[in-house]
Amino acid sequence: MSTKKNSMGMKAKKTLNNLLTYLILILLAIVILVPIFFVIVTSFKTDAEISFQNFQWMPHSLNLDAFKNAWDMVNWPRAFANSLLITVIVVAGSLFFNSLAGYAFARLEFKGKEVLFIILLMGMMVPAQSIIIPQFIIMRSVPLAGGNNIFGAGGTGLLDSYASLILPFLSGPMGIFLCRQFYSTFPKSLDEAAKIDGCGSFKIYYSIYIPMSTTILATLTILKTVATWNDFFYPLIMTTSEAMKTVQLGLQTFKGSTTTHYNWLMAATLFTSLPIVVVYLCAQKYFVAGIATSGMKN
Amino acid sequence: MTNARGKKKKGHLTESKLGYVMILPNYIIYTVFTLIPIICTIVLSFTNYDLKSASFVGVQNYIDIFKDEIFLKSIWNTIYFCLLTILPTMVLALLLAIMLNRKIAGRGFFRTLFYLPNILSMVAVSMAWSYLYNSQAGILNKMLNAIGLPSVGWVTDTKWAMISVAIMSIWSSLGYNAVLYLSGLQGIPDYLYEAATIDGANAVQQFFNITIPSLKPTTFFIFVMSCIHSFEVFGQVYILTQGGPLNSTTTIAHQVYRNGFEYYKMGYASAEAVVLLVLILIMTMINMKGGNTDVD
Repeated sequence: MSTKKNSMGMKAKKTLNNLLTYLILILLAIVILVPIFFVIVTSFKTDAEISFQNFQWMPHSLNLDAFKNAWDMVNWPRAFANSLLITVIVVAGSLFFNSLAGYAFARLEFKGKEVLFIILLMGMMVPAQSIIIPQFIIMRSVPLAGGNNIFGAGGTGLLDSYASLILPFLSGPMGIFLCRQFYSTFPKSLDEAAKIDGCGSFKIYYSIYIPMSTTILATLTILKTVATWNDFFYPLIMTTSEAMKTVQLGLQTFKGSTTTHYNWLMAATLFTSLPIVVVYLCAQKYFVAGIATSGMKN
Repeated sequence: MTNARGKKKKGHLTESKLGYVMILPNYIIYTVFTLIPIICTIVLSFTNYDLKSASFVGVQNYIDIFKDEIFLKSIWNTIYFCLLTILPTMVLALLLAIMLNRKIAGRGFFRTLFYLPNILSMVAVSMAWSYLYNSQAGILNKMLNAIGLPSVGWVTDTKWAMISVAIMSIWSSLGYNAVLYLSGLQGIPDYLYEAATIDGANAVQQFFNITIPSLKPTTFFIFVMSCIHSFEVFGQVYILTQGGPLNSTTTIAHQVYRNGFEYYKMGYASAEAVVLLVLILIMTMINMKGGNTDVD
């Protein structure tokens, strides 16, 4: 083969490869988009437009009835407020505790450090359902809460309270792991210099490490926000009253009850997902950074 | 709290004591809400606790659950779900990552799009798909009918129901795994491919001799995490099919929920929970062992 012919062949091959790439990407993109597309268009349809006889693929106008009806079915303002409150406290609290522990595991020397860290990591493979029954009993048996006596009997304890949806999530193996990984990359000379200047370890943590943690804290914020906002298993178990409903529980009540009103259901799906989609689109680079870090080995 | 009693003046803690203090808040929560519950689940599994009273029943629950046809079915269903989801997701994710790793216009857009399903809640995803899957009013059957094909009982036919749950789950987790693979791909140094090209290796050879071996740690990580996540599958089943039809989609986690919180047979459900935990432990240990010998 002459070099000229070779380079022309290469070019043609590259164009072909690119075409093939786009073909596969677009095909997969359609598969990803179809469900989302139908959620959006269905929520603007009237009851007639989704009916069996008069089904229309596209709505005739931007009809908002489905949104109004879906909005009236659940106390949404309360549900959004609940979810927001829980998410904010869980994110703030777990960020602080995780970074604290992550720093200790990365930088401080103490006996049993490795073992304690491994015990924490093992928590990542404990499925929520395998420990939910004792967690429920523990919440129910908190002394002097929810009508309980000093021995934790008689009332409902912390069940159906914000605390039951917040407390278990203030810790988190993943967050500690990510913080430790992140802090391990800092040069040790940083600590030594600060120690010579008379800084204690805690001061090094909050005046040197924390200000340099923007990336990891932003990443964790995003991961925790999504996880907390989207969680429905805990609220399902721990809460009973209408007033404690979170957004996911609110959406979950549509299950089965309004099978004929798919337009309401899709409208509710749309407006409950919107906040998290907005967060995602605004903070995309941290999502990717989060995955890249959590996916790293060692 | 054992701090503050350090004998140093001015209340400065020694480094090791400070270490314990800094991990303490986490460890308290972790102990109360994870470690103690693990022990409690095991203890409860030997009782007939029903929220009111409990008495010790020995291994009766374990004898019962392994005679319980629905529970045995749920174990098989869980394994079936893993088989349907893990490998297909990994193959598709790798393919997608390779496409996204090429320097083409619009790849940022595609990455954003493919990752989108992963940030939606399982409730929202299941709601959206429940409409697609509905046998009469559903979009998928409308599409099939439009091109002259018969309807499929996506979530009403026992043969299809678990496959439908699996398709939805792949849809939801594909982008996450693709981004993991993408970061793995970006860690492979270019000179490996350049050297291979000079040596005359074609694209297929490069893929099998450079890309696949270099991605081993990523593949291992994705596989271990997918196994764990697939084994605890619950939300999809609870919302989309409620375990039906005829228990064809009920999973171990779903049985734990149903027996524990619908029938309040908490001792019984705890025995099932222990089985779930042990299965995941065994699986992860096998994975780790396999992974370690491979990497060495």
